Amino acid sequence: MYYIGLVFEYLKNYMKTRLTYRADFWVEVISDLMTQATNLVFIFVVFGHTDSLGGWSEAEVIFVYGFFMVPYGLFSCFVNLWNFGDRYIVKGEMDRILTRPAYNLFQIFLENVDPPSLIGSLIGVVIMIASGGQLGLEFMWWHIPVMLLFSVSAMLIYSGVYITLTSVSFYSDSPTGIIPLLYNIQNYGRYPVTIYNRFIQVLLTWILPFAFVGVYPASLFLGRTEMFHMAWLTPVMGGVFLAIGVVSWNIGVKRYRGAGS
Amino acid sequence: MKAIEVEHLSKIFKVQQNRGGLKGALQDLFSRQYNEVAAVDDISFSIPQGEICGYIGENGAGKSTTIKMLTGILVPTSGRLNVGGYVPHEEREKFVRNIGVVFGQRSQLWWDIGVIESFGLLRKVYGVPEQDYRKRLDELVQRLDLGELLSRPVRKLSLGQRMRCELVAALLHNPSIVFLDEPTIGLDIIVKTEIREFLKDMNRQYGTTILLTTHDLQDIEALCSRVIMLDEGHVIYDGGLDTLKTRWGQGTRVTFRFGAACPLDRLRLLTGGLDVSWTADNELHAEVLVPGEVNVSDVLARVVGQAEITDIKITETTTDEIVRQIYRSGSAGLPEESVRAPHA
Repeated sequence: MYYIGLVFEYLKNYMKTRLTYRADFWVEVISDLMTQATNLVFIFVVFGHTDSLGGWSEAEVIFVYGFFMVPYGLFSCFVNLWNFGDRYIVKGEMDRILTRPAYNLFQIFLENVDPPSLIGSLIGVVIMIASGGQLGLEFMWWHIPVMLLFSVSAMLIYSGVYITLTSVSFYSDSPTGIIPLLYNIQNYGRYPVTIYNRFIQVLLTWILPFAFVGVYPASLFLGRTEMFHMAWLTPVMGGVFLAIGVVSWNIGVKRYRGAGS
Repeated sequence: MKAIEVEHLSKIFKVQQNRGGLKGALQDLFSRQYNEVAAVDDISFSIPQGEICGYIGENGAGKSTTIKMLTGILVPTSGRLNVGGYVPHEEREKFVRNIGVVFGQRSQLWWDIGVIESFGLLRKVYGVPEQDYRKRLDELVQRLDLGELLSRPVRKLSLGQRMRCELVAALLHNPSIVFLDEPTIGLDIIVKTEIREFLKDMNRQYGTTILLTTHDLQDIEALCSRVIMLDEGHVIYDGGLDTLKTRWGQGTRVTFRFGAACPLDRLRLLTGGLDVSWTADNELHAEVLVPGEVNVSDVLARVVGQAEITDIKITETTTDEIVRQIYRSGSAGLPEESVRAPHA
């Protein structure tokens, strides 16, 4: 309850700050959408040359992409660790966080909430509805709770991976180049994994399980029975990766050495 | 009851050693060399509830590292510590509800929103009930005269205004132990005095335990009954400020200007039997150092009638001088019995 209350307080604060910099807000929303649009255009270009990609039709690939946008929007809104090393370790703002009575990682999430990213999630839903209609998918009542469950689980997978890698910052003084690399790898997860070779499939399923943020859970809605068992594994993977993230974070915090005076 | 207890506390940092030159940089890429540096090395002290204790030392002596361990930010390498009944780094979230922290060089407040909004957010973070918060805020705002600042964003405040707000932010949840890391750094004399008065009042009224680090010894003189002095991670003095002065002070310095020549030998003869030491630049100007045990008036009585004096100046050794002298000599040159003086 305490933590839910805090989420609203910080969101309120975010709004207050943002109202002073309104132009910024819209620039961010638009640049976010532009990035997503380019990715979609890329899919259209590919399917301009072929009808199917590893057994997936254009509409299916777009549906997967739409699904991906939902957890990705949630993740970008609530879990923003992009500048953690710089801001909290190098500048030593972690000192302040650690002297307040709320879980430190949670406070960092709250201080970096980015609600405009949620617009991406909404657009993802619209894309799923559009491409689902094209595919003639029938809408069922259970799609809503399952969609919610899968989106949150997928977001937790993302969070777990990023928390784990960000906790490396506690060990090394200099900001690492791992996070940008990861942003590249995660892009692969947006497309059906079956189009890649064996190595990348294993990588995207078990090591950096970004396939669970796109194609696996989406397959349930697409009626791709060969992947159903993977779809239902999404919540499990979410739990496991979040746990790994939180544990390595807590170990990392013990190694925090502060900055400056 | 003890508010803070520290036993054999140490913090060792591994510091990467960079080799020089391009070749060295390439070598560093593959094998790194580390040095172990003890920022805090086996210190012990305890502070009873309701005491204001000053924690001083040169830059890099380990003051901030100690404060950061006491507030749960850093995990100690070894040793035992107990602050307000908690081991800080183990039960961090519960522990910090009971303490207030002000880092003079770092802000607690949100930069872009009004001061009062920051306070409101902190109220939620600390879970202070609305009524208590109102009462406490009114009291603090009145005491520190913040009235018209409350609606301004922090980025538009002057340093002095900001510092007063920082204090309020750290005290809203009425902590029983307060840590202040250089709270008066960069402030003008009026704000400094105001903050000192405020801290003293708070200590008197609520029995708040205060530990502060500072480079301004006037802070210490105005506030602290006790000082802990640190050098290279070791405690080199722990005791009352008065004891520090009498033990380390060189006593009183009396400067004479004579109307007619008055050689040193004659002066020495006049004060024969008293344990004082004379120095002189020339025959018209002499200085005598009177240790604490000797009465200054005795010295004056012997000299005044006998020589033609045009001017006398009496100066007490200031804490600044004492501390400067101790820093300069470091721990090595200290008289043995002063290293651990009894607590005042």
